[in-house]
Amino acid sequence: MNCVWRAILAWDHSMGRHFLSRAVPGHSPWQPEGSCLLQGLSQFPRGFCSSAARLASDSKQVPMVKPSAVSTKALEPYEDFFEQASGGQRDKTGFSRAVKAFAQRDMRKRGHVDFIYLALRKMPEYGVQHDLAVYNLLLDIFPKEVFVPRNMLQQIFNHYPRQQECGVKVLDQMENYGVMPNKETEFLLLQIFGRKSHPMLKYLRLMYWFPRFKNINPFPVPRPLPKDPIDLARHGLERIAADLSARVTVYQMPGPEDLGANPSQPHIVGIQSPDQQAALAQHNPARPVFVEGPFPLWLRDQCLYYHVLRADLLPPEERQEDKEMGPERNFYYPMQLDLDLDRGPWDDYEFDVDEVEEGPVFAMCMAGAHDQATLAKWIQGLQITNPALAHIPVVFRLGAVGGELQLSEHQEGQGQHNQEREEQVSPKEDEEEPSQAQIRHQGQS
Amino acid sequence: MALLHKLLNGTSFPKLCRMQDVARCFLLGPVFAGYPSRLYGSIKKTEAASGRSSPEVNTQGGLEKQTKGEVGLDLISPKEKIEIIFDKAIRTEIKDHFKLLAKELVDRWRGPEGCPLHEVLLENTRVMWQFRSDEDLDKWLVTSDRTIGGRSKAFLKMASNNQSALFHGILNTELPHDGETQRSGYCAMTSRIPRGAFERKKYYDWSNFNTLYLRVRGDGRPWMVNIKTDTDLVQKSQHLHSYFMFTRGGPYWQEVKIPFSKFFFSSKGRIQDNQQQLLTDQISSIGFTLADKVNGPFYLELDFIGVFHDPTHTEEFAYENSKKICGNL
Repeated sequence: MNCVWRAILAWDHSMGRHFLSRAVPGHSPWQPEGSCLLQGLSQFPRGFCSSAARLASDSKQVPMVKPSAVSTKALEPYEDFFEQASGGQRDKTGFSRAVKAFAQRDMRKRGHVDFIYLALRKMPEYGVQHDLAVYNLLLDIFPKEVFVPRNMLQQIFNHYPRQQECGVKVLDQMENYGVMPNKETEFLLLQIFGRKSHPMLKYLRLMYWFPRFKNINPFPVPRPLPKDPIDLARHGLERIAADLSARVTVYQMPGPEDLGANPSQPHIVGIQSPDQQAALAQHNPARPVFVEGPFPLWLRDQCLYYHVLRADLLPPEERQEDKEMGPERNFYYPMQLDLDLDRGPWDDYEFDVDEVEEGPVFAMCMAGAHDQATLAKWIQGLQITNPALAHIPVVFRLGAVGGELQLSEHQEGQGQHNQEREEQVSPKEDEEEPSQAQIRHQGQS
Repeated sequence: MALLHKLLNGTSFPKLCRMQDVARCFLLGPVFAGYPSRLYGSIKKTEAASGRSSPEVNTQGGLEKQTKGEVGLDLISPKEKIEIIFDKAIRTEIKDHFKLLAKELVDRWRGPEGCPLHEVLLENTRVMWQFRSDEDLDKWLVTSDRTIGGRSKAFLKMASNNQSALFHGILNTELPHDGETQRSGYCAMTSRIPRGAFERKKYYDWSNFNTLYLRVRGDGRPWMVNIKTDTDLVQKSQHLHSYFMFTRGGPYWQEVKIPFSKFFFSSKGRIQDNQQQLLTDQISSIGFTLADKVNGPFYLELDFIGVFHDPTHTEEFAYENSKKICGNL
């Protein structure tokens, strides 16, 4: 009786009608055992079609046998199993322990598709989403040589489609996180799905495109990023300085209590190139220089803030071209060669556009705090290598940090503040100085 | 039509002023401007104005007040009274179109795109888009995942020195609550398709050039440069050629050169197995997309976009068609 009933119910589910199962939960005349049988029944169709239900849009198919009837705490199958098997460790060891426990639990690997989907979703939680070995471990769960098509017909008609989709999903997540598969992945896919299959095709596509785009970034960011804020700041400053001769100086090391809530002694790292130093030495002391910032710099997913020391653009009457050397400087050979080496009018490679003119940048820095006291220390440090800076007035034009970030997180009740921050964060824009700007004459100190 | 206009003007709701303006430009936009693209823009505006939750609208208003020349949300301020005379507007519109037509005909006779032939043949560089005034911003469209229900924000305006455009905003990868969207978080700016007299589609002919040239200043985030070729066929409307642009960050300007041969072919956002070369004789628009899955503020400052001919670059297409992939299934 039990067997027949299961067969009827399975047929009912596969036809998508659910006449019978609608009658099941309450009072079925054919069901003497009651809740015990119900539980067995309710698990059967779920294992039968749950992977399909997830791939289709969630709202379409509501399983007629309600999961609440099963009365498990977890929403997903194997969620409890995963938690137990990982032993509470949220790292790679815990994750691989759970995966291995599943692989060794059952010879038939029942429910492995569900388990792989669950594991893929849990990967960022365990911090293993960039680890190739873990992906290979996941693929290793699939039973080998079962899903390989054996004849032409099986190959034409999508053989074991749910399992193939699951395999593609694993590779898809690898693609998303930028993990390049290796030979082991290929070997596993060959063993599981065979040469002519969708996961294998996905693998080939990945191996076509990833090596081509792997090294195209002209400003490479190390992976993983350095943990130490000074190393990070050094990397960021060398990147934005765009000058190999620029020298990084650490003006202040972070204090030991820097890790706490309020850093009493933040780090200050600055950079200056010899050209900038020479330009600052020639700067007219009557005109002030400005400390502007903070401006964001993104290194992959980490945002650093930097400040620049710059001057306004000189008015055209004050610009002096002292670089020009007259031909009279030397009587024996010309100081300047002005040979017209253009071959003709077709050699003109200049864009016909007005130059954007901006004031010169004299130095840049990254600091642990963005207040004026910290940046004044930076200026004091700069005065050692740039004696001319002692006679130049320094104006601080500072804005707030990360105003827009907070805007995205707490969107309510901050309208007024955000307006102010918006103005200050948006780079290179503040025409008028903010209220806290002060003119400091460094010469006396 | 006049009745409609009277209805819109006569009934003044103090709180719905903005909506009223939006409705006006939505309904009457095609009559005055006749630009389908503007109609599209006005749809954008309605969507932006009728934001989901009230605090969001408040903050938007704040941002809007800050930045006057923005393209993304440039609602007509309610104080500004627009004089509407239908006959006059239609007459000027028709006149403009005929003037444009006459200019096109004369240009055709003079040479390709109005330049004498010897100039075109000797041309090595051409500035396609530059950002020097607010009119230059009108050639661009700003979109974000707000169209699919996401929470990103994007604005385009002139930078303070008034010599470059600043595309800024906040990227937010929060998924829209519709139950089927898997990924979210993009901000994009796209150039409008050029139009000739009587709203005919026009194309840029870049067949003399082989490299794209951009002068930008960014904040270290990677961008995607998308080039769209002609969109006459419906099947082709989703086709794009794309490549990546990496910004250095910092206070210095950066010059990016991307050869056209590097652009790879994708359809509906999926890289295709059969790769085709970018055909540079019918370019309709160019776009910049940010979708690097990192939440936070971003900015990209653009000086100008040009094309030039690099005689040292001889590669025709960087991606060969792999037999392994194309013949796998």
